[in-house]
Amino acid sequence: MTCRDCRYFNNDPAFLEREFAGLNALSSAYGTARGEDGICSKRSLYLSPAKQCKDFVPLDTVKSLND
Amino acid sequence: MEDVKKPMGWKELYLKEDWWAIYLGLGIVIAAIAFFYTGNPFLKSLSVLPPSWTDSSKLVGHFSSKIGWYALQFIFWFIIFSISTRILGFRQSEYIPSFIFLYILSIVTLIIGEYEPLSKNGFEAPLVALILGLAISNIVKLPKWMDAGFRVEYYIKTGIVLLGATLPFTLIIWAGPIAFMQATIISVVTCLTIYFVAHKLFGLDKRFGAVLGVGAAICGVSAAIAVGGAVKAKKEHVSITIALVTVWAIVMIFFIPYFSKFLNLQPAPVGAWVGSSEFADAAGFAAAVAYGKMVGNEEAAVRAFTLMKVIGRDIWLGIWSFAFALIACLKWEKEECETAPKASEIWWRFPKFVLGFFIASVIITVIASQYSLAEFDKVIKPELVKPIKSLRSWAFIFCFLSIGLTTRFRELASAGKKPFWAFTIGVIVNVILGFVLSVLVMGNFWISKTAQ
Repeated sequence: MTCRDCRYFNNDPAFLEREFAGLNALSSAYGTARGEDGICSKRSLYLSPAKQCKDFVPLDTVKSLND
Repeated sequence: MEDVKKPMGWKELYLKEDWWAIYLGLGIVIAAIAFFYTGNPFLKSLSVLPPSWTDSSKLVGHFSSKIGWYALQFIFWFIIFSISTRILGFRQSEYIPSFIFLYILSIVTLIIGEYEPLSKNGFEAPLVALILGLAISNIVKLPKWMDAGFRVEYYIKTGIVLLGATLPFTLIIWAGPIAFMQATIISVVTCLTIYFVAHKLFGLDKRFGAVLGVGAAICGVSAAIAVGGAVKAKKEHVSITIALVTVWAIVMIFFIPYFSKFLNLQPAPVGAWVGSSEFADAAGFAAAVAYGKMVGNEEAAVRAFTLMKVIGRDIWLGIWSFAFALIACLKWEKEECETAPKASEIWWRFPKFVLGFFIASVIITVIASQYSLAEFDKVIKPELVKPIKSLRSWAFIFCFLSIGLTTRFRELASAGKKPFWAFTIGVIVNVILGFVLSVLVMGNFWISKTAQ
């Protein structure tokens, strides 16, 4: 399973522009150059959603916790 | 969260601002052509701009007679931007008041920038926009939600597509390869300088060195986040690079035009210099337009800048990003790299607005080829190109103001000495090399090419 399906991964553009101060001043999280990269809150990394690691936790975990 | 789970793929056609910039820019070009062939002056009237003035009665007279067109123009921008930003995911309760504020401030900026005693002394509209924006965001402090309307990249990308309609495609074909070679030399030297200073000299992480390097060498913050994601950079390293790029980009917006003015340089070589040494499209356009206006030849500076920055640097971002992803995967993280990067990333990261720029250039070049040079100057320029150019000026002013309004120096990440000096050494190398190649070595080439 890849970061795309991990609960720690967030690539929402509005979230990224809040996290990276100044990103919207000379660039944008809504442009194609960013691809679909996002932030891993577990490891404080900025990375592609195609990456994988041993800390993976499925998104469903969030759903089940919320339920 | 469902959207996050599936690759975006072709949904980017409506979820990425690059595509909206193409739709808007090409939509304006097509409308301009339709109005031109039907002899309808609507778009010409809609693209109204404040005139140069010294006597306030001229200004009052202008606004008294054109106020209806300003209102219509506002409605035009407002409808298009609010629909597209809504689809992109912005709250309209935030975007709408913010854009109204931006439009009013744009009129104020243009009025100040067109005041001849100021503009003749190097205080042009782009610089007025930046200073005004920076003052408001750093002294008055607008609420953060207003950033929704200050979409620097969306406005500049729209402006670049419109710019394509004023740039002959033949010029892109003839000068593009030279721009690419010149920009590549400067980019590679700058990137390697920063990487080696950061990693070998200061012992910073390789990924950090790479992100800092491309931030200065390719296209600023956009390159930093593209390569940052490709090499799996630490979040704080991306933040620091964004801060350094932003500060130096703002410095260069003022330094290059005023230094060039001091040396009394031609606009085309300065445009090329800005194109090779400024860090972001938006900042570069501000510097190129400002200098072009200072010396009374905006087109030459903007054309050379565009060739160097967009053709020479921007369109190669996907390849740089892919190359660094491969290096990171095969050399830096052998154990962790379970999936090799895919070459398709080059396409997905390609700055798509450039496609709109090319298409606009081809369309207008084909139309212009049906007329003689005299007819082009007499008919095409004032009736077809001028309205597009005026609307481009509006898109640029929205952008320049937005740069200032979103640059809050106190919020930027503090860099630390090593990253600061690694980046700064790269900036110095970049600016000197850019000056030597663009002004001293290739200066005459840029003057002759942009004069066509």
